[in-house]
Amino acid sequence: MKVKVILLLLLGAVAASAAWLLFRDGSTPSPTARITRDGVLLEEINLNQVDAPRSFVLEDESGSNTVAVEKGRIRVSEADCPDQVCVNQGWISSEAVPIVCLPHKLMIEIVNGGGGLDGAAG
Amino acid sequence: MERPVKGAGRIARLALLTAIALTIFMAEAQIPALTTVPGVKLGLANIVTVYIVFSMGPGDALLVLSGRVFLGAVFSGQPMTLIYSAAGGFLSWCTLILLRKLLTRDQIWLASPVAAVFHNLGQLLAAAAVLRSWAVMAYLPYLIIAAVIAGLFTGIAAQALIRRLDKLKK
Repeated sequence: MKVKVILLLLLGAVAASAAWLLFRDGSTPSPTARITRDGVLLEEINLNQVDAPRSFVLEDESGSNTVAVEKGRIRVSEADCPDQVCVNQGWISSEAVPIVCLPHKLMIEIVNGGGGLDGAAG
Repeated sequence: MERPVKGAGRIARLALLTAIALTIFMAEAQIPALTTVPGVKLGLANIVTVYIVFSMGPGDALLVLSGRVFLGAVFSGQPMTLIYSAAGGFLSWCTLILLRKLLTRDQIWLASPVAAVFHNLGQLLAAAAVLRSWAVMAYLPYLIIAAVIAGLFTGIAAQALIRRLDKLKK
């Protein structure tokens, strides 16, 4: 009895997760990358307005990450952390999952929106 | 449940189990990541945690778990991972204590997937706190599915281990 209840709960959690992954809206017409460290906004880039690929280094006392942007997508190309999780994640181009660099408290998420409007937030 | 071992015997046993757990943890860390989703791994060292919770007691399990998590972070050279492992480890330990009351000795395999789900949830909550953003919750569905699969695997392994060790004692 208990076994069945627990198994059903697990199955329910897996089914809900699968449904969440399958049915979420991944399309982002105007992808804007928000790069934050420790919750503080560092950069905001409207990815559709990136004409030529470029990269830049984000550095603080915990370490450095090199971020590369191209039209419509963004990635971390280099990081000086040992695990390289953020680098291995590769390019992201939609709101689906953010890139996180836990050792450096850095996060790159894509939001849908204008961009450039958040200048006052800093 | 076996007869509690006290004093030096208990210390030696906990040290041995910590060494085993740490060895498994470090060996597993050498396996290349299966997916690009951060946090997805087998968690083989948790076989030891499940074994201790069900065969020795929650207190001993917490001691070995803390020792392994701390030393694992030291040896892998990533002190920041300590926060995530500790949060995940603690939440899954709490889950295991609850399940210890619910499950019989033949149902231990079921404890592991549930604990694994809460481990990953704890890690994500810690990550959300560090990054000060709920955006990391986008990983939750991946991590739930991965936790159930990996947890079933380690749970069955822990069950087999306990069955064999019980047989040895007879």
